[in-house]
Amino acid sequence: MLNQVIIDGLAFALPLLVIAIGGIFSEHSGVTNLALEGLLGFGAFSGGLCFTILVQFIPFDSAVAFYVSFIAAALGGATFSLIHALLCIRLQANQVISGVVINIAAMALTGFLTAQLNQSFFSGSSNKFFLSTAPRYTLDLLSGLPILGGLVTNVYPFEIIALLLVVICWFLLYRTRFGLHLRACGDNPQSVDAAGLSVARIRLVAVMISGGLAGVGGICFAYSISTNVSPAIYFGAGFLAIAALIFGNWQIIPTLGACLIFGLARAASFQLVLLLEMDSSIFDLAMIVPYVLVLVLLVFFSKNNRAPKALGQVYDKGQS
Amino acid sequence: MSETILELKHISKRFPGVIANNDISLEIQRGEIFAFLGENGAGKSTLASIIFGMYSPDAGEIILRGQAVQINSPARAVELDIGMVHQHFKLVSNYSVTENIILGREPIKRLLGIIPAIDYKKARAQVQELIDRYDFDLSADDLIEDLNVSSQQRVEILKMLYRDAEILIFDEPTAMLTPQEIDSLLAIIRRLREAGKTIILITHKLEEIKLVADRCAIMSRGHLIDVYDVQTTSTQLMANRMVGRQLSFQLDKAPAHFGPAVLELKELSVIDAFKVKRLDKASFTVHAGEVFALAGVAGNGQIQLADALAGLVQHSGQIILNGQDISQASVRKRIQSGLAYIPEDRHGVGLFLDFDVTENLISKQYYRPPFAHWAFLQKKTSQRYAELLIVRYDVRCAQGPATIVRSMSGGNQQKLIIARELDTHADLVIFVQPTRGLDIGATLSIRQRIIDERNSGKAVLLISLELEEVLTVADNIAVIFNGNLTKVTPAAEISLAELGEYMMGVRQ
Repeated sequence: MLNQVIIDGLAFALPLLVIAIGGIFSEHSGVTNLALEGLLGFGAFSGGLCFTILVQFIPFDSAVAFYVSFIAAALGGATFSLIHALLCIRLQANQVISGVVINIAAMALTGFLTAQLNQSFFSGSSNKFFLSTAPRYTLDLLSGLPILGGLVTNVYPFEIIALLLVVICWFLLYRTRFGLHLRACGDNPQSVDAAGLSVARIRLVAVMISGGLAGVGGICFAYSISTNVSPAIYFGAGFLAIAALIFGNWQIIPTLGACLIFGLARAASFQLVLLLEMDSSIFDLAMIVPYVLVLVLLVFFSKNNRAPKALGQVYDKGQS
Repeated sequence: MSETILELKHISKRFPGVIANNDISLEIQRGEIFAFLGENGAGKSTLASIIFGMYSPDAGEIILRGQAVQINSPARAVELDIGMVHQHFKLVSNYSVTENIILGREPIKRLLGIIPAIDYKKARAQVQELIDRYDFDLSADDLIEDLNVSSQQRVEILKMLYRDAEILIFDEPTAMLTPQEIDSLLAIIRRLREAGKTIILITHKLEEIKLVADRCAIMSRGHLIDVYDVQTTSTQLMANRMVGRQLSFQLDKAPAHFGPAVLELKELSVIDAFKVKRLDKASFTVHAGEVFALAGVAGNGQIQLADALAGLVQHSGQIILNGQDISQASVRKRIQSGLAYIPEDRHGVGLFLDFDVTENLISKQYYRPPFAHWAFLQKKTSQRYAELLIVRYDVRCAQGPATIVRSMSGGNQQKLIIARELDTHADLVIFVQPTRGLDIGATLSIRQRIIDERNSGKAVLLISLELEEVLTVADNIAVIFNGNLTKVTPAAEISLAELGEYMMGVRQ
């Protein structure tokens, strides 16, 4: 029971963290990113499409298709994020509106394209790409232990990928020149310009990284929650990720904590519903627990949080 | 010694509607402190921006170390060993001193032989070494947001030194500093010259040029008047050349004729949000036709007093304006009873920076005729009113009434506030630091304006940190120290030195 909460909680928290880190990259460079929901959806769509194509050609080895689909999801998310970059950086449009529009556009576009592609090429008539079940691994040696056992039981391979990404992203953001430049853009873009660096280029890369990470997070959810890519992928993970990164004060390690809280709360309320054998109508109500938790926690713990100073501001070189 | 490092030849630059630089040619020697002196808008900042590659000139060429160069970006300027400290610092507030200095030029180490990471240890050592060499009283690990303005400025200087800049440009470096900080900055500038740097200093403050500069180019309305040797040229001459007319430091001040009391304060006290008593039972009277000045070092309660009068902070005690007790009145009620307020914080309290000139000018009267008819604003009337005030108060704004206030110079923003306040024809006008940060021309015209108000029978309360201003403009002076009025005297009966002693609390 407790182990199940940990297993489900991690499977939810780690993809969420990857998406939230995507948001951190974009926002630390000064670009508000409310488009995470749409980006993860488009990433999942790209991954699903890639998987569907690959299994046509190599039907017996779905493991290759499985891993390649992650790369496709990252590329798809990064590509789709170019719209956000174009609107916010080049055309200096309002970043909130751009984000909202991308969310709506992604929903409509992926649903439409999935149905069309299924009909034209894959001789299906559904609005879903079906994926294989992701393999799960258990470290038998340790799985019997309390709590720790839950950490190493039924682990999805993408949880490992997510953890690796977290380490790489942390290093990139806090230990490299690019990370230093990126975070400076979010505080005082003039200083970056004065140092002879291009604010626009740094922000472009930051937004693309955020799109790529959101895409990876999206395909993870597609594998773990429904084993297909459908409009059901838009269940609010992108917005929950935004809440997590704000709650985590725009820093990776605290955001990890926030994602774990949300993931475990979600898994726990799920188990609670099963335990009490609730009616399915109450089930939906119980699943709002993590979101209510978000609200409560934000009220109490985000007072001293500080957003990047230049967040959401259009940077115009001529302005001093 | 006299080797030319930088030569400007026939540089011209125009912006829509203004000629910022008109055919300017001059030479700067290696290792000298060369000053650009001029009023706000004389074109000196534009010229410096051209040297630093922020603007490209419309005509003319720049010769650096004997070679013609194109400086088309600040990055190029840095490559050519030119550095600039801007008036508005370009620092990342949540970064350390080290991180700010190395930004864009980080030392790199390779982890596991391949992965590039910033070598913070080496960076820190390099920065600390620079700090120690120039004796800057900073720590490489300090966070920028914890530093005061003067320390942040030193970080900007370090940024240039870290990049081995040889020509250092300072754009109005003393505008935000206290007198002590100015002294230490000027000392630093001298030290930099001793270290072999060439310094370009842009300022409108003559005293500073007299103190440090070797030579000085005086600019007026986009033209270079001439280059003077500072040691052998008198201050008066330079001041005259700067404003382009014979300047009288004397104000036209007729003897005072006091009328009836306009403002009476009775035991006014202010306690701030931290429960600290900022003003303790201040009582005084200001008459019609009188300039009553409140002198004091910053932070001794004078701002609280002004805010209390304007109704911006809670207070106890009585405020009587024209015989009417307004102690509990709302801000609008106070304005209607005849109180005009020119606040210290122009940007925060005085103006709506992103609104245009018209909107700012009617912002205290917009709700009543002729500016509003029922609920509707009368745009045409307001605009005509704005045009009138622009002329009457000599406010220079590029697009007339539609100019966005943020784009105007500080002096003109101040004139705008003064126009709005004086045109309400209030009986009491409160001026707080009315000439802070303004050039000589604007300063004198504002001081004259204060005296004109007094001559026309208004009561004026002047709150200023500048002794000279207080002594020349005021009829009566009260000194405020630690929230107490320590001395009230006619201006004619106190000397500058005595006033200083009261302000510092040496005398009670």
